[in-house]
Amino acid sequence: METATEQRTLFTKEEIGVTTPEDSKPQHRPEKTLPADRAQDKPAPTVGKPFVDNPRMACRHVNVFYGDKHAIRDVSLDIGRNQVIAMIGPSGCGKSTFIRCLNRMNDTIEGCRVTGEILLDGQNIYARQVDVVPLRAQVGMVFQKPNPFPKSIYDNVAYGPKIHGLARNRAELDEIVETSLQRAGLWDEVKDRLSHAGTSLSGGQQQRLCIARTIAVGPEVILMDEPCSALDPIATGKIEELIDELRRQYSIAIVTHSMQQAARVSQRTAYFHLGDLIEVGRTEQIFTTPRHKLTQDYITGRFG
Amino acid sequence: MNNGKPKTIEIVQRSLVRRYRAERRFRRMGLGAIVLSLVFLGFLFASIVGNGYTALFQTQVQLDISFDPETFATGELANADYPRLIKEALYKAFPQVTARGERRALTGLVSSGAAFQLRQMVLADRSLIGTRRSIWLPADDDVDMLVKGHLSRQAGRLSEAQLAWIGQLQSQGKLAKHFNWTLFTAGDSREPELAGILGAVVGSFYTLLVTLALSFPLGVATAVYLEEFAPRSRWTDLIEVNINNLAAVPSIVFGLLGLAVFLGAFGMPRSAPVVGGMVLTLMTLPTIIIASRAALQAVPPSIRDAALGVGASKMQMILHHVLPLALPGMLTGTIIGMARALGETAPLLMIGMVAFIVDIPGGFTDPATVLPVQIYLWADSPERAFVERTAAATLALLAFLIVMNGLAVVLRRRFERRW
Amino acid sequence: MLKKTLQAFAAVILIWTGAAAPAMADAARDNLKIVGSSTVYPFATVVAEQFGKTSGFKTPVIESTGSGGGFKLFCAGVGVEHPDITNASRRIKPSEMDTCAANGVNEIVEVKIGYDGIVLANSRKAPPLKLTRRDMYLALARQVPDPSGAQKVVPNPYKTWKEINPALPASKIEVLGPPPTSGTRDAFVELVMEHGAESYDWIKALKKSDEKQFKAISQTVREDGAYIEAGENDNLIVQKLEANPKAAGIFGFSFLDQNVDKIQGAVVENVSPTFEAIADGSYPVSRPLFFYIKKAHVGRIPGIAEYVKEFSSEKAWGPDGYLADKGLIPMPDAERKQMAADVARMKTLAKDALK
Repeated sequence: METATEQRTLFTKEEIGVTTPEDSKPQHRPEKTLPADRAQDKPAPTVGKPFVDNPRMACRHVNVFYGDKHAIRDVSLDIGRNQVIAMIGPSGCGKSTFIRCLNRMNDTIEGCRVTGEILLDGQNIYARQVDVVPLRAQVGMVFQKPNPFPKSIYDNVAYGPKIHGLARNRAELDEIVETSLQRAGLWDEVKDRLSHAGTSLSGGQQQRLCIARTIAVGPEVILMDEPCSALDPIATGKIEELIDELRRQYSIAIVTHSMQQAARVSQRTAYFHLGDLIEVGRTEQIFTTPRHKLTQDYITGRFG
Repeated sequence: MNNGKPKTIEIVQRSLVRRYRAERRFRRMGLGAIVLSLVFLGFLFASIVGNGYTALFQTQVQLDISFDPETFATGELANADYPRLIKEALYKAFPQVTARGERRALTGLVSSGAAFQLRQMVLADRSLIGTRRSIWLPADDDVDMLVKGHLSRQAGRLSEAQLAWIGQLQSQGKLAKHFNWTLFTAGDSREPELAGILGAVVGSFYTLLVTLALSFPLGVATAVYLEEFAPRSRWTDLIEVNINNLAAVPSIVFGLLGLAVFLGAFGMPRSAPVVGGMVLTLMTLPTIIIASRAALQAVPPSIRDAALGVGASKMQMILHHVLPLALPGMLTGTIIGMARALGETAPLLMIGMVAFIVDIPGGFTDPATVLPVQIYLWADSPERAFVERTAAATLALLAFLIVMNGLAVVLRRRFERRW
Repeated sequence: MLKKTLQAFAAVILIWTGAAAPAMADAARDNLKIVGSSTVYPFATVVAEQFGKTSGFKTPVIESTGSGGGFKLFCAGVGVEHPDITNASRRIKPSEMDTCAANGVNEIVEVKIGYDGIVLANSRKAPPLKLTRRDMYLALARQVPDPSGAQKVVPNPYKTWKEINPALPASKIEVLGPPPTSGTRDAFVELVMEHGAESYDWIKALKKSDEKQFKAISQTVREDGAYIEAGENDNLIVQKLEANPKAAGIFGFSFLDQNVDKIQGAVVENVSPTFEAIADGSYPVSRPLFFYIKKAHVGRIPGIAEYVKEFSSEKAWGPDGYLADKGLIPMPDAERKQMAADVARMKTLAKDALK
């Protein structure tokens, strides 16, 4: 079914400074390892198990175009309930583009077109009648660079609940803020300075604040786009523990450059290559016995 | 190593000297440029302050005025013969002066505005009638210039007799310089000793208030629409080019536009601050729009992503996050535009605001002029005493500009947030 | 914060529109609007100020638009949006009366207020100049009669005053003066240059036979640097003269009067530009000054008659009046009296009178 959307787009990529890896040319395009069928310009078939039972989100034949550029080629993948799926792959492989499709953040990029079907609890999120505002409340997102609002810690967390009207009074709002910060593992560190600026926190704390902000809206799915790439190892460790913790309640899709991180936090791993989904499987399986040669080359460090 | 070739480090070191020399030269050039501009600025300030500070004082003459009840016998206090009170006081002070021509010369020492000062005193306090008071009254501008040393004794503007009387008054301590309150409390006048900048300041205030009230919301709304909502098309490109062009249009053109549209088509009053404000709005809008768009562009996309990521609508994203961050830049642009508007005379010429206006405007439609126009009019006046008043008015204008720019800095500090 | 700011702005706009709307509907005007000549401006403003202080009426608003600009505004129509009075440093032209009539301004009262002398002055640091109008014409025209005596014009060859007249100093000809938009410049061209040119009989003859040629010879000011256009600001010319004693400048008498300690007027045809000499007509370079009243506004705009009365009173335009203090040269007694009487009757100007 073609539920393609030529959304009325509002920004050019340059204008909002989007620096998704797809935007720039891949720095080390592995020409030699091009699969044979790539040359005939057909999407590579996915090996492994892209589908799970009772998925939270189901993507079917998703294609993404930036103008003429075909950034995601016929990807079908499920996001399971209460588990973490990691997207890995070399720069420019389309993993960030893919994850941004899941809450329609790509709508803001001019010239971006998505075809195919992405179902959230059985409803196609690209259907005409779907409003992105509630969708993004259901599918939250944590970005690469910690981006707290230039407001107080409290206001950062309270903003989402406020605009969605989740709290009827101040006490309820206080409670949401506290539970969200607790779940993000930040409460003990900031409970005495909730009125301080969110930007005054350290990088790791800021990222956890952003996670708290996302949780506060009560989403079902949390998308994380390389959430630790700007953090030091200790802060990274904390976030990884947190992700493991959050898995009990939410479905999480994480894009990461670090294979160790994927191995540590995820239950399933999807390997992307030049817009194709090459292989999906249980994480241990992908890292111990990859079935596709490209996956093997990537995880053994041949390229990437 | 090859002996014929110098080592890399040697080549580097040789070029290093040259590089450092170039750097030093560049630094010195930059420093020189700053010093030069500071010298010019200092020169400008020194000349204006040097010319203008004397205007802060006004020579006054102390006279024993007896408010003779006979003068007020007709009962009409407003139309009583106040100049006579001054003449009588002068004749009493100089009993030796009797000839008609000489008496004329004597009364010429006191400003023609002195009578109005007495009139106001009596109208404010009737009990003065019948009393005798020692009152400081403004001296004529020629006397003022002489006392301040701007007029030589040989000039011929004052006769030998007048010079002698001035000397006599000075030795009695009845001729002295006092702070010139008139300069700040009066409207324009053709008598330098009675002229003040208040009318122009109030006119500038009304005009700029209209400009601000119109141009800021319009400019910000335009910038937000163009930057955040307008689809990219040939039309928006055209609008953008036109806005940039408007920013470079000579200001007199806006005056012509104002004359044709606001006065001609809408039938609005001439010389009114409301029209001046509207004309200056046209002139200021491009500046504000361009600055506001730049400020909006400077808001990091991560903040937009963050807002959209928690499910904010586009309007909420703009109102709650983008606008507050862009506001300092917008305010800076607005204040720069307003400062430009404050110093503008050319567009106001066309709509009749370059005029001699004595009464202090009481509203947006009263005839009014503005500070730079007042400076221009005074600079064009033949009376010598207007030279220092021109400089003093310029100082006042500069003071307003400094206050406005200071306000810009304060607002920036107040609203600026880091991310 | 932002919300408050926006609310504040909304409030300001509301207040503004609230204040402006009724005023715009208010058609009547309670102050006089006067436009016109920048030469008359310093005199009219003094009268306006006196009038405002003593009469109980509002002080008239006076714009300095130049004589031509003044007539344009004045003749645009009858009604509160049009000025009541225009000042002029020359008489109204028949063409301007036609414009007026076409716009419904039929009845105009002409008031002559006095005279203004135009002076050529230099710094007191230099010796005074003694000139004739012919000298000035030869010094400043673009084309002058051939010095050899032939009846043709050549591009102005004179570089120093001495070359024109051996009695004059050997200094370079350098005259600062107003630009062509100025009424002072018009008057200077008419009173000095044309008169100087007419002192040559064959040029005078041209006036009848070839007026175009006559104008080109008599009215064109040289552009090779000897005549420097110094802008409308006469104060600036005075300052420049003070800094450069070799230069001379052209401006109205009131500026000479106010700066007698710095500059001196050139003696023209043996007459010094003094108050008395201009008043009795012996100083040759002087022109009358006027203002014109829109009779249709009299009685409709409050204060016109009273303002005119103030202007035509002896204490204003008389020989000892306050306008004389400002440098206006009064008319002779009889002319003044006649004028004051005519004005009191609001005698309208007939177009034939302009011939």
